[in-house]
Amino acid sequence: MAQTDDKPDASNSAPIEQQLYAIRQKIQPRAVHGVFANWRVAMVLLTQLVYFGLPWLKWDERQAVLFDLAARKFYIAGWVFWPQDFVYLAGLLILSALALFLFTAVAGRLWCGYACPQTVYTEVFMWVEQWLEGDHIARKKLDAVPWSLSKLKKRGAKHLVWFVIALWTGFTFVGYFTPIRTLAAEAITWTLGPWESFWILFYAFATWGNAGFMREQVCKYMCPYARFQSVMFDSDTLTVTYDTSRGEPRGARGKKVDYKAAGLGACVDCGVCVQVCPTGIDIRNGLQYECIGCAACIDGCDQIMDKMGYPRGLIRYTTENVVKGKYADDGIFRHILRPRTILYGMLMLVIGSAFIVSLATRVPLRVDVVRDRVALSKETDDGLIENVYRLQLINKDGRAHRYTVEARGIPGLRVVLSQASISAAPLQTVDIPVSLVADPVELDDRSTEVQFTVRAIDAPGIVDEVKTRFFNR
Amino acid sequence: MMQRMIPILWPSFIVAGLADIVFTSLFDPLEILYRGEALIEHRIAAYSIGFFVFWILGIASSALTCYFQRGADAINRCPLPSRQRPEGCPKRECDGGCE
Repeated sequence: MAQTDDKPDASNSAPIEQQLYAIRQKIQPRAVHGVFANWRVAMVLLTQLVYFGLPWLKWDERQAVLFDLAARKFYIAGWVFWPQDFVYLAGLLILSALALFLFTAVAGRLWCGYACPQTVYTEVFMWVEQWLEGDHIARKKLDAVPWSLSKLKKRGAKHLVWFVIALWTGFTFVGYFTPIRTLAAEAITWTLGPWESFWILFYAFATWGNAGFMREQVCKYMCPYARFQSVMFDSDTLTVTYDTSRGEPRGARGKKVDYKAAGLGACVDCGVCVQVCPTGIDIRNGLQYECIGCAACIDGCDQIMDKMGYPRGLIRYTTENVVKGKYADDGIFRHILRPRTILYGMLMLVIGSAFIVSLATRVPLRVDVVRDRVALSKETDDGLIENVYRLQLINKDGRAHRYTVEARGIPGLRVVLSQASISAAPLQTVDIPVSLVADPVELDDRSTEVQFTVRAIDAPGIVDEVKTRFFNR
Repeated sequence: MMQRMIPILWPSFIVAGLADIVFTSLFDPLEILYRGEALIEHRIAAYSIGFFVFWILGIASSALTCYFQRGADAINRCPLPSRQRPEGCPKRECDGGCE
């Protein structure tokens, strides 16, 4: 990623390219303090505590949250999910998407401003930058000066700290997919597998690149959500808004001047809202897709309003309808309930309930049946018809179980097993041959549908059924 | 160049991620046989290689999209910047909308 600090040069030999693309000006946002900045710090700490801490938690002697890709099993607390349980993942994704839609409809880009990893890591990387390179003015100066030993030292230190954070992030990421304690032991003894090392470095590189260099460009050019979030907005959606009617006409003035008498609005045109913006926009131009809803401009403007002795909230979270004067700020709360949000809410309620019910009544057993491929059927010595199958039992439970096998579908149908019951260790898959024997007088057709029922002896309710066909001679 | 690379690399990256998740949830890579023998021995390796195979396919597709997107103006355009063209060159400047 080139640091394109240089302005487009008109004498360059590729004039047409320059007409089409505005070259990115590196943004050095000014740090800001205030209510929303505090919220963001809190969210950074919370999300990162969860992200970095979760894989170290244990549950019954194993990692509480582990998406064990090598074993094709997902562990979440007491649950174990198998690839056959993919529907739960799909359900979870649909619920998350609906939640995102609901939040967006109510209060705009809350996700982008406070919780998105891109925002969070950019924030963390900017703390490091602020700490090692100074404030936005010092950083701009450092960008401008030619390379020297002191610049090299400052930049080197920054990249070192960035790299350590990125590496730890990458390590944690891989720790969600392979047991993190083993991974840590391997990392310390320098015996990481090639693919683990590769993905740690890959994720670290992505973190370093996205949070260190790409920053707002990820939101502007790469994020799919940023492109379509506007369709979830309506006139009652809370967004970061500049109150044009109060602010305009903007202009500089002395603190003691009665600006209303001077024909001015409340905006002193100090430009702080632009300086603090991480995406480099001017919120006074109205709602733009580049605005990630971080509210840094609200904090910045409120500080200036305090200094001027004007009321806060020239830039604030408000809705289009308030700005248009359809209702006052205190009416925002009443307007949260509207067809769109009710629809999202209802959908979430229905899918969420189905999800919970299905999870609560989930049977930790799965049975599959495969017919013996060699012979469809054979006749026994005493003139009965026998079909051979293979039953595959997956004990999805964290405990061992013993199972019995029954079959029905033909009068007098008998199950022939080599043992009275089948045992399966926790999370074990057992493959067993099983025969069904029936009297030919009971068979009308060439084949009849039969059903196996596998039942745990030691736990009522753990039952699975599977259908197959029984072939006549 | 970067402006051209990102629209090729990034959408294919997203699609490759999704395709890899869907494919490996449906099929256990250890059960993929090639002439009767397991194609790959380690699942993590299989997922990773699978991801890159999907990514390369996506890159090929996105790159072709970009390639075919060039309009007539862009193809007909004189490679020389206007200042360096010989006197009386009939080449018109493109009206914008071409690269």
